[in-house]
Amino acid sequence: MQRLGPYFFILPAVAIMATGLLYPVIQAFYLSFFDWKIGTDLEDAPWVGFRHFIRMATDADVLESITVTLRFGFWTITIEMLLGVALALLLEKPIRGASLFRTVFILPLMISPVVVGLIWRYLFDARIGWINYYLGYLGIEPQVWLGDADLAFFAIVFTDIWQWTPFIFIIVIAGLQALPSEVLEASKIDGANWWQHILFVKLPMIRSILVIALLLRLIDVFRALEVMYILTGGGPGRATELLSLHIYNRAFDTQQLGYASAISVLLILIVFSLSFAILVIGNPMKDKADV
Amino acid sequence: MKTGSGTLWTLAGAAAGALMMGAVTAHANPYEKYEGTTLVVSWPALAHFTAAETLLEEFTEETGIDVEVDALQYLKLRDRQLLEMSKDEGEYDIVSWVVMWKGEYVSKGLLTPLSQFFTSGSLVDPQFDIDDVADAYLQNGGVVGGKKGYMPGKSGALYGLPFGAETSILAYRKDIFEEQGLAAPTTYDELIDVMSKLHAAGIPALTSRGKTGHQVTAGWLLHLAPMGGKIFDDAWNPVINSPEAVKAAEFMRHTVKTGPKGIETFGFGEASAAFLQGDAALYLDTLKIAAMSRNPKLSKVDGKVGYALHPTDVRCGSETGGFAMGIPANSQNKDAAFLLIQYLTNKAGDQRMVELGGDPVRISTLMNNADLFEDYPVVAEQLPCADPDWRPLIPEWNELNIDVLGQALTQVITTDDPIQPIMDAANEKARAIMEREGYYRWASYREGN
Repeated sequence: MQRLGPYFFILPAVAIMATGLLYPVIQAFYLSFFDWKIGTDLEDAPWVGFRHFIRMATDADVLESITVTLRFGFWTITIEMLLGVALALLLEKPIRGASLFRTVFILPLMISPVVVGLIWRYLFDARIGWINYYLGYLGIEPQVWLGDADLAFFAIVFTDIWQWTPFIFIIVIAGLQALPSEVLEASKIDGANWWQHILFVKLPMIRSILVIALLLRLIDVFRALEVMYILTGGGPGRATELLSLHIYNRAFDTQQLGYASAISVLLILIVFSLSFAILVIGNPMKDKADV
Repeated sequence: MKTGSGTLWTLAGAAAGALMMGAVTAHANPYEKYEGTTLVVSWPALAHFTAAETLLEEFTEETGIDVEVDALQYLKLRDRQLLEMSKDEGEYDIVSWVVMWKGEYVSKGLLTPLSQFFTSGSLVDPQFDIDDVADAYLQNGGVVGGKKGYMPGKSGALYGLPFGAETSILAYRKDIFEEQGLAAPTTYDELIDVMSKLHAAGIPALTSRGKTGHQVTAGWLLHLAPMGGKIFDDAWNPVINSPEAVKAAEFMRHTVKTGPKGIETFGFGEASAAFLQGDAALYLDTLKIAAMSRNPKLSKVDGKVGYALHPTDVRCGSETGGFAMGIPANSQNKDAAFLLIQYLTNKAGDQRMVELGGDPVRISTLMNNADLFEDYPVVAEQLPCADPDWRPLIPEWNELNIDVLGQALTQVITTDDPIQPIMDAANEKARAIMEREGYYRWASYREGN
């Protein structure tokens, strides 16, 4: 009985998780076996077996979308991690005006993604955008930021960095401020210089926080939709069509709900595999195993 | 005496009753039965429909029927409408659709045939005169099931009435043309020449839609019809790699190179804004540009715009698009909804729309106001050329439009890659979709026999 006790107490949480989280996933999986269109009864939708999955395996558009997402993830997460950690290290000390800087830095995080998309869409606009306007003063020709494949990709990466670097910053600064002062002082007494202090003492001590931040951002990259939807709609062509946006476009623009569900299953598998890999490699709970 | 008095009262009562009956007959109100009803209308957040909101208020005042509007960005309407119309009891009593969605709505059984109402003497205003509604608009927006499923034909049925319907005309900046010594082009050769001359003079020439997906396809289709191209031949074989289709794509590339910056990102709003804000000298798209150019909130070019027919190439052919409105099959207030549609599209409603800054759908309204607006005589002359087959309004069109052509044409306008191979690849993709949807089953069956 004593052994069953803990399971009994976590049962309500497991039940809620199963209903709220697993049911939609199972439903998406179920839907991927049908050719269903909005506006018709699901009961009338024809069963297509694994046809959607077979089509997906050879669909160049899906592959292109995955490539775009991975490229996007690589650039955004790398730059955001570097910038976020650097800013946190710069602003962790109680310098004058640090709280003001911190507030300003986390402002982009507070703005709704739809608004972020709209703000940057108008800033990047080729005809009326401020970016082209000010570049004009530097003698740079106006660019079609959102209409050229490379520039549009740069625009979505830049916007994502602008919006999400504060997230890394806020997590890392919280971790840095929670570090025990004894260890830091000990390293100073041992003669560690500024670089050694950061690289061999501070960063290893917040390693678990960095792994969690990386994991959350990685999941976010695969879920990113709103900003790209507003900013470029996935275009030009499929240059900025992240996998989640590709799923949206398939489901609602072209009404292939069954096929979109099959791609969603793939998305879940990719995110699950990446998350699992990160957790295995950098297990943030390793040190807490005996807690 | 008592009896006599009773008889007298009875007679007096009968007389009063007869008088009252007469009074009721004299002031019979077709709207009375529906007083207090609330109708919910789903339509786009576009200038014509915003103007119509005043007419809705007048309708409520006159009839006692309340109207609530759910206005959305026009390409977002479809998802919302499909979701509402697929419920057992939907929120919407009237939906306004982009004409390219009509086939899908009807094939899914989501709309009410308007014949149900046109057979009711108590609902139909005898002065409605449906023959006065521009035929191109009526057929393109409202009739489903005729030739090819979306064209006029004996098997077709009426599901909607045009409201906010359109064809294409050419709008140009008179001041710039005069300054540059140019004349309004009447053919595509002249148009290409004018665009090059304007570009050489440092003036952005023709604005166009060019955003990936529906928008760039819409821009290209405007030129395909006059150049003699089609999407399918008569056996549903895609012909989007034909010389005409490639020529239209070449014209799109020329447009981007000589037009305002950013065409590759322009949707309808951005393309129109470029002209209305004075950043383009030419506009070749919907006639809605005329009403918008007169609206001081939208335009800096009022009084400077001239209008001409959509230029011809091998033939005259302008678009037939815009919106029509009808009644969902799951509406709970169908009769009242019909009365509102009738109110908005009858002769008085159509004239009122013109006064409010909207676009008419009736020939009589166009002719009656020809002296007031420079574009009306041009539209009246253009309408016989409006081509109901300029794009195939089949249920599969959305996928072809967005996923196939919308991608291929983006490649055309954003790169210098040879156009023919791009269109060949798109044609193959289109064929695979038609194959998947069973369009060649009859041909294959006949071959088998």
